[in-house]
Amino acid sequence: MEYIRKKRSLENYTIRSIPKDVLVSDSEGKTVIDETNPKYFYGKIPNYKVDDNGNYILAPSGQKILNTIDVDLFLTQKVDDMGIFTNKGFTERITPLNIEPQGFNSFEYGRLPGAPASFYYHNDVVVTGNTDDGYLNQVRSYRLDSNNNPIYVPFLNTSDDTTNVFNGVISDDSEKTVYKIGADPIEVLEYQQGTITEIKSGTEFTTYKNKFVRTKDEYGKNLSYFKTDFKNNNGGWDSNNVSLNAIFKKEEYLGIVFPPEVESVVFINRGVADIFERHSLLSELKTTNDIDTNRGGFIGS
Amino acid sequence: MATGNYGTIRPADVSVDDVEIWYSFTPSRELISDVELKSLDPAEVLIPANDPNNNSEILGGLYTLKLPTSVFGTKGYYSIIIRPKQIRTTIDNCGVLIDNQDVKGIAFDINSITQDLQSRFENGNLVGYRVEYLKEVTGTDQNKIQNLFRIITSNNRALSMPQAQGNSNASVAYTFNDNATSVFCTLTPSSAPSIKPNAVPFIGNPGQQVIITNTFFNPVMVEIEMVEYDDETLAYALYSNQTKSLEDGIYTIYNFGNQIYKQYNLYEVKDQFSGKPLYEVREEKFTIDPTKDFDGITNF
Repeated sequence: MEYIRKKRSLENYTIRSIPKDVLVSDSEGKTVIDETNPKYFYGKIPNYKVDDNGNYILAPSGQKILNTIDVDLFLTQKVDDMGIFTNKGFTERITPLNIEPQGFNSFEYGRLPGAPASFYYHNDVVVTGNTDDGYLNQVRSYRLDSNNNPIYVPFLNTSDDTTNVFNGVISDDSEKTVYKIGADPIEVLEYQQGTITEIKSGTEFTTYKNKFVRTKDEYGKNLSYFKTDFKNNNGGWDSNNVSLNAIFKKEEYLGIVFPPEVESVVFINRGVADIFERHSLLSELKTTNDIDTNRGGFIGS
Repeated sequence: MATGNYGTIRPADVSVDDVEIWYSFTPSRELISDVELKSLDPAEVLIPANDPNNNSEILGGLYTLKLPTSVFGTKGYYSIIIRPKQIRTTIDNCGVLIDNQDVKGIAFDINSITQDLQSRFENGNLVGYRVEYLKEVTGTDQNKIQNLFRIITSNNRALSMPQAQGNSNASVAYTFNDNATSVFCTLTPSSAPSIKPNAVPFIGNPGQQVIITNTFFNPVMVEIEMVEYDDETLAYALYSNQTKSLEDGIYTIYNFGNQIYKQYNLYEVKDQFSGKPLYEVREEKFTIDPTKDFDGITNF
């Protein structure tokens, strides 16, 4: 516990003004103080703030203002990392909340009892920028036109894994080529069929055929390429990537910030010479560092 | 220049609802009577500062203690303890998680907690709280078990369940269930060391009284010495305006605002027979003569 020492002078809070209202004449005609006057505070520390005329100072609400001795403090919190938690399923509340509490913030509240997963959904976040036209080669077809330029065929999937990944052109005209890298083939198909109006998966590139960018690389070498914009929609948080779990702490993970990786350095030397043993040991060495570290330094020693 | 370091002490932004304030008063350091602690309402005396750029946002760290002069207006020593709020409750039961029999914990009944504190027992809100234990048998001795505490590492609403068939663990088993009114808390330390597997640390007994305390800020003790004189008042005597009334011998010292700070009667004590002056006396005058107003005297 921190120990703080402060000193305050009571004189700072003592009233030294003598309002004219409290002055009266005595029987000898001499001016004296009427100490019974409620406006007389000379030499006292009033419970409420008063002005020089002995009147209470009022707050805008009309209430008297408490006279206080103010001391500033700086409070601190010592923090420590507790490490990773462990997920565990839980039984949701039978009657879940329908409306988010006012000011609900999933980061602040954590798992609020009764809150369905939908409270934690978040809108899409779109990242945009510009780059070179390097990805355009990945989506061209093998055919060439009469000018020996590649032909871009809309919805032709040029990826190596056409079942799971779509790399290909979405649209191509005289001005620009729009293509996707890493999109979901099912979503692309739905877009092609008109079921959806936007493909959110993958990164969308737009390469302009009549706009060039001339620049220099980090070594000063001249570069030129077609102007290319990209757009990536991370899809936000929804039922596909959000689920609720209870979290609890396994004590063996206290202070550990990632799951433990087990690395065995145990080697049993049987004390029996085997003509193949030396070769077996050497076969485990992949780098020169392994000489020092393999089997707890057995070979190095 | 260091790189990659981060601080482990941060300005606290604790709510005054999570704070307790106690104070004691002694007029001198030599007092031999016992210290009597009295409480103050933090909501009335502890005011957090707001960020000047975002008025609805707490600045963090900076708090102002507004001590009422009705209580703190006496010369002497005030010791003020500002510490995290304590919650006293009873352990409802102790047990393990049904699918993780090595994870032990204690359970509280939310309904036994006062309404205004129940939100602190919702899922995850007790993480980092400290648990201290009271002795189960009350007597004349100290009721609190000294030097023993545990830290809550997680808390979830949980339902007690019968152990699965064939499981010989006698502990009550809990499963996480948001419909339950009990809260299962894991604590540290609660695991046995590998070299002594049966030496499971004590985490409490069913029915035992405990004190639960947040760790949102480090407790502080402030000693405030209330004095009558400081450098400023001594400077009045040295450098401020003064008057000496030759007619009635009233000597007046003013503060820097020309208000009467002190008045004295000046007189001589003479031998009653010979009239020989014996003493020059300056005696404090407690009934102030208001006619010695400095502006009134010098306004001619």
